[in-house]
Amino acid sequence: MSDLLSRPTPHAPAGGWLAKYEPVVGSGTLRALEALARRLKGHRIVMVNTTKTGGGVAEILHRVVVILNELGVPTTWEVMEGDDRFFGVTKRMHNALHGHVEPLTEADKDVFRERTRMEADRLELDGDLIFIHDPQPAGLIEHRRVPGQKWMWRCHIDLSRRDENYWEFLRPLVAQYDTAIFSHIGFVPPLDMPTYLVPPSIDPFAEKNREMGEEEVESVLEGLGLERGHWVTQISRFDRIKDPLGVIEAYRLIRKRRNATRLLLAGGGASDDPEGAEVLAEVRASANGLAGVTILELPPGSDREINALQRASTVVLQKSLREGFALTVSEALWKRRAVVASAVGGIPLQILHERTGLLVHSIEGTALQSIRLLDNAELRRELGSEGREHVRDNFLHTREVRDYMAAFVALL
Amino acid sequence: MSTPFSFVTVAHLEAPAGLSATSFDTLREGIERAPDDSIFQHVTRNIARHPHARDLAGNDFSRWVRAALQAPEAAERLALAGSDPSRPIPEVRAELAAAIERVPARDRRREAAEDATFYFVRAVSVLVPLGSQARTPADVVELWPQLDASSVFYHLIEALHRGDTGASLAAWLRAEGAKGMARAVEEEVAEGRPLERLRRDLGGRWRRSQIGRRVAEKAGAPESERRRDATATIARLAERLREEGEAR
Repeated sequence: MSDLLSRPTPHAPAGGWLAKYEPVVGSGTLRALEALARRLKGHRIVMVNTTKTGGGVAEILHRVVVILNELGVPTTWEVMEGDDRFFGVTKRMHNALHGHVEPLTEADKDVFRERTRMEADRLELDGDLIFIHDPQPAGLIEHRRVPGQKWMWRCHIDLSRRDENYWEFLRPLVAQYDTAIFSHIGFVPPLDMPTYLVPPSIDPFAEKNREMGEEEVESVLEGLGLERGHWVTQISRFDRIKDPLGVIEAYRLIRKRRNATRLLLAGGGASDDPEGAEVLAEVRASANGLAGVTILELPPGSDREINALQRASTVVLQKSLREGFALTVSEALWKRRAVVASAVGGIPLQILHERTGLLVHSIEGTALQSIRLLDNAELRRELGSEGREHVRDNFLHTREVRDYMAAFVALL
Repeated sequence: MSTPFSFVTVAHLEAPAGLSATSFDTLREGIERAPDDSIFQHVTRNIARHPHARDLAGNDFSRWVRAALQAPEAAERLALAGSDPSRPIPEVRAELAAAIERVPARDRRREAAEDATFYFVRAVSVLVPLGSQARTPADVVELWPQLDASSVFYHLIEALHRGDTGASLAAWLRAEGAKGMARAVEEEVAEGRPLERLRRDLGGRWRRSQIGRRVAEKAGAPESERRRDATATIARLAERLREEGEAR
């Protein structure tokens, strides 16, 4: 792989990201970020993950690296490479740490160790603050730690249902770090080093979240063959834990009482995932004969469509049975949408019940609260407005950057 | 000669406190055993975690009891117990525990669902100097709108809890002879409003309290200077009204 590919160079807009953020978060917040950055003067951060495109981590790193550099904290980004065997093992590791049963053989461990050793020789880990993202590059610390360096491990995945075989393999590596960071307290395994909670965040300027005028929303809807209406929408991949069948059951109850309501289930994950295709087929079968239901299978990169669909929705649902952090909730709140969501995973951090949205625990609750919102434009407006402020205060990239800098300052 | 007031900001890192609750009994035990910086995180820091909220939804304990244990009466008592962020942590802790003691026996048996466990978190404060100083109380009024919310929170509330009296704005104002401004801080903080509203209300009181002094100072100034100042004042007022309109 070329040097350019292995060392991503995120691009900043003219005037810089910080200048774009100023009207959103205020100049005081930016000055506070600059003050934290001054405390890191003379230090250099190296971020490491395993991909520069695709996935939430790469998306966040593209922004965070630029913002840190704009703040005057020299930050580079190294990408650990691997072959199919290595990524086969780490894919199983990822699934196992999420709670799926996966075998872990001695050969798997050897593949992981061998690739880690090779990459440790290649990667430029020459900063004094090394920031490793997720389990795949976690073993680099064994080979490359030098005196004076501080190493931080950022786990973006939910370890609450982890496969202990995999965790026992990983834990001795993680234990060598100075600090660990998790997205949510429910995800944290027992660890002896200082551990912090840093929720993920959204980019208000990303295609999925940027401001979008009514005309553009209309145009996207037209392109998708949809008309304006009282849409109740869930945008999530077709996965059982997102409970799309529960959404359809809730919609049946809504429709009996408010028959002008329409349901939109949109998401990806069906074309390249056999289980996703199976779930999509079940969803279609369940919705068969039910009036007012639209099911959209969105291809990867449908960010503009997602933006428009959320903005066109009267109520946005996230009726998951289990969740990681569910940033889709913050994305909807940022667009001032009224959200009804299950009280699982990171959702209650984003939805403060009756303040920034409505939390539910059942299909009936989902129907009831959706009807409340469909009937009450004032309540929708109030929740949407408070929701946007809540995201502004807690779930934008500037807050995540602040937390990372603070964690490094706390280490020095 | 007086000492200038140096502004800092604070980043609050959240860390697991190692305690959890699934019922009223385990919540009370947790409240009794949790370190001060955990009670601070869940109650006192509430106004800083939702600075732009129109009004506050109660502290974390109150919200959890309402949502997970479905006990609105206890939730109300817990919310009130933590509504004044200037109260010392031991007092808040005792009042929270007392609020739980009052829960009727029939409700004490309630258990939260497995995925609704309450985890205690503590706040780790990372302080950094902002590099700006006030030499007089009038400087504070000028700098006030430019500070970030965390800085406002630290100087009004957190410094007192940490015993960092040198960073307490009320203490400095009093030492500078601005007793009215210091009293305004204490009164406004005790109201327990969301931080941005507290900042706005306090800034308004301070500015109004300085009108008399400014008028006296400007009485002898040339007409052109007074006109210029009047124009700037009206522009600031218009800007403030615009911001308040947007906030509403």
